[in-house]
Amino acid sequence: MGNNPTQLEKEMGSVQLPANEHYFGLVNFGNTCYCNSVLQALYFCRPFREKVLQYKHQQKNQKKETLLMCLADLFYNIATQKKKVGTLAPKRFITRLRKECELFDNYMQQDAHEFLNYLLNRVAELLQAEKQGGKGKGGENNSQSKPEPTWVSSKDEDFLDLSVDVEQNTSITHCLRGFSCTETLCAEHKMRIKKLPQILALHLKRFKYTEQLKRFTKLSYRVVFPLELRLFNTSDDAYNPDRMYDLVAVVVHIGSSLNRGHYISIKIEASSMEDFFGLSSDIQKNSETGYILFYQSRE
Amino acid sequence: MAATGEGGGKEEVKTNFVTREGTYRLMPLSEYSKPTRVPYNGQTNTPCKVTFVDLEDGSGNSDRICFNVGRELYFYVYKGVKKGTFPTCHDCNEMLISPDSVQLLVGFTAGQVQLIDPIKKELSKLFNEERLIDKTKVTCIKWIPGSPNHFLVSHASGQMYVYNEEMPCGPTPPHYQPFKQGDCFAVYTCKTRSTRNPMYRWVVGSGAINEFAFSPCAKYLAVVSQDGYLRVFSYDRMELISSMKSYFGGLLCVCWSPDSKFIVTGGEDDLVTVWSFHEKRVICRGQGHQSWVSCVAFDPYTTTIENVCDSTGEEEITSKSENKNGSSVYPNGIYPLTNATENHTKKQTPVSSANSSVITCYRFGSIGHDTHLCLWDLTDDIIKLPCGRVRGSVVSTSAAPAYSSNTIPRCSSANAKTNAVANDVSVMDGNAYAMTNSTMNPTTKFATLSLGDRRENSEKKEHKRNFSLAGRSSDKSQTLKANSIRPPDNALKLLGTPACPRLNEAPLLEPLVCKKISVDRLTSLVFKEECLVTACQEGVVYTWARPGAVENL
Repeated sequence: MGNNPTQLEKEMGSVQLPANEHYFGLVNFGNTCYCNSVLQALYFCRPFREKVLQYKHQQKNQKKETLLMCLADLFYNIATQKKKVGTLAPKRFITRLRKECELFDNYMQQDAHEFLNYLLNRVAELLQAEKQGGKGKGGENNSQSKPEPTWVSSKDEDFLDLSVDVEQNTSITHCLRGFSCTETLCAEHKMRIKKLPQILALHLKRFKYTEQLKRFTKLSYRVVFPLELRLFNTSDDAYNPDRMYDLVAVVVHIGSSLNRGHYISIKIEASSMEDFFGLSSDIQKNSETGYILFYQSRE
Repeated sequence: MAATGEGGGKEEVKTNFVTREGTYRLMPLSEYSKPTRVPYNGQTNTPCKVTFVDLEDGSGNSDRICFNVGRELYFYVYKGVKKGTFPTCHDCNEMLISPDSVQLLVGFTAGQVQLIDPIKKELSKLFNEERLIDKTKVTCIKWIPGSPNHFLVSHASGQMYVYNEEMPCGPTPPHYQPFKQGDCFAVYTCKTRSTRNPMYRWVVGSGAINEFAFSPCAKYLAVVSQDGYLRVFSYDRMELISSMKSYFGGLLCVCWSPDSKFIVTGGEDDLVTVWSFHEKRVICRGQGHQSWVSCVAFDPYTTTIENVCDSTGEEEITSKSENKNGSSVYPNGIYPLTNATENHTKKQTPVSSANSSVITCYRFGSIGHDTHLCLWDLTDDIIKLPCGRVRGSVVSTSAAPAYSSNTIPRCSSANAKTNAVANDVSVMDGNAYAMTNSTMNPTTKFATLSLGDRRENSEKKEHKRNFSLAGRSSDKSQTLKANSIRPPDNALKLLGTPACPRLNEAPLLEPLVCKKISVDRLTSLVFKEECLVTACQEGVVYTWARPGAVENL
């Protein structure tokens, strides 16, 4: 990209960028947009990023390459760039990912949510293993000071990933009423959230397998989502039922089917929301393609 | 397709629905839609808005319908001012209506404003043509009540401008100087405001202004914004009276009750929220929509009033006459209100009725992105819920002095208003029980509180326990409010206060009816005497005949 300002930089020229924030594009290694878009979104989930960077800090001397290490390195790389904007090639991460998981070991289009799912599970596994191994971590304090992103099934619900069914002309609030949990652990008909997580990732189930066509089709329903969100279906004894969430990032799917199309990630900046990326509320209203929404608790 | 009533499938688009006063039917051949020859461009994002204007030309059909859709505005077929800019909203000047002239303001996506006369067709004035005043979309435009030449325009930039139709806009960007300031809002004047527009610039809140509405008594201005706040100003004094926060997300629409006592908002939390102007608190929320609520409107013709024996004589009630269709449809002495020709609701000047009466049930409607129409009854028993009375009495006693200071000398009914506030409480206290009894039967059947028993009990307990506490804290917030209004990011602190109660702290209404009536998102809702009118984004305007309005259908 050289020294010439990119289109993005030009467009962002008028926008006041927050200090100490870095905006780096991730190079696409052939259909890796599913991965890049999710990584971008996760990077801008501040609590997640901070935990990962903290992990990087704690694991300085670890030689063994894991997916989490690669992720930590990548985030560290972005966070320590001198320039505020630019591009990076997440090569090591992609290589590691392809090595670890057969599903992603090709140049095919992938489902961004499947990747998010895999990444979070893998991270949780790694941390679990490390905790049990318990060698040279600097004692209990350390391992407790990093309540890591985990799954619904775990007690620590810092990061909750919900898959919600979508209906035409509804809001995410409405879709959440009938949500089902990603892991179908719950036998109850209606699941209610007991403890509200710090980060709430909402996966809109836009891909539906149709028997007649014998393939997945995309439900391009119009589902609107607000910039701030509270949940209605919390359980009566929920500890923090009024938690307010702010939309921080959206993974957008562009295209008409699962097998084709492109993913992009949009980072939401409350102040510059209206102009940035042309992401005015109009886009919101045309959010047919919103695929994964990342909400972060305000506190 | 005959709708089969309640059992109908969810996806079915209804053509009629039943309420306690009868059946509402979609009128055949009533689509005042865009000419079908014009292809619908799904790209446009401007909602279709509908208004009516009565030319009073003596003919049998003096109403004109006006609506904007896509690139067009239909009163007569109208072409936009410039390429790439579409009309977003419009308003007719109620002061200057005559059979051969209507002053129609049109706001545009790129910020311009045009004044046209669809009848004379010679008038055409442009404001903000060079976009020097504001470059963002016009979100709402209204003539200032009672003024022949002043109008107010809100923009997506979060600013509102007061224009004088008789003045030019000037070739250079305006220079402003501060005029009045409060927390979360500021008013500026144009340094050369005696010679050019805009006269005033209002900066309100921290997001786009989505809609504003003048109270029927013309003294107050309610503004709803993307930052989730409803802010109510004394318009002439340019003072913030109070504010309310949505449960979450932006507020998209706002409407005053015909007697200026309540404000209903709808927003991105899929809720309608009823706010009491006198008590400065959220009365209740309504849950029924499956997506954002795009328009709310009170139905002044289906509002129930009851005579009060020990009349205060000061109640501010719009004068109503009895329905010609007969009150036989309405049991228990509840009868609908009609807009007789001499009715003043339309002219937005409420009159104190000699025969003192109290509205005991307000009807309002809401439509949303979910293609559903919801009708709601705001009944006496909800307005006067015990918790409300506890808080309300505290608030209103402390607020009474604030009122008198807020009353505007210009306003003739200012004194009456102050009295009304004080009397209000006593009226409520004196008659609450009797009225509850008389309205219980017809109302509870339809508008039910969806609070669980357990919860209701715990709520009551809480309120009893907090009796003195709640009083004190709301007292405090009153004084706080008077000195400085909270900054917008205090939304979290507001939770649990009268400005934004927790979900279980305010009654949750269920809609009287909630029906899917369109395939496209709904954008406009107007109640008229003999019908209600809805419009969708695509530009199709539907008329729903009221029960009994059409005989042989």
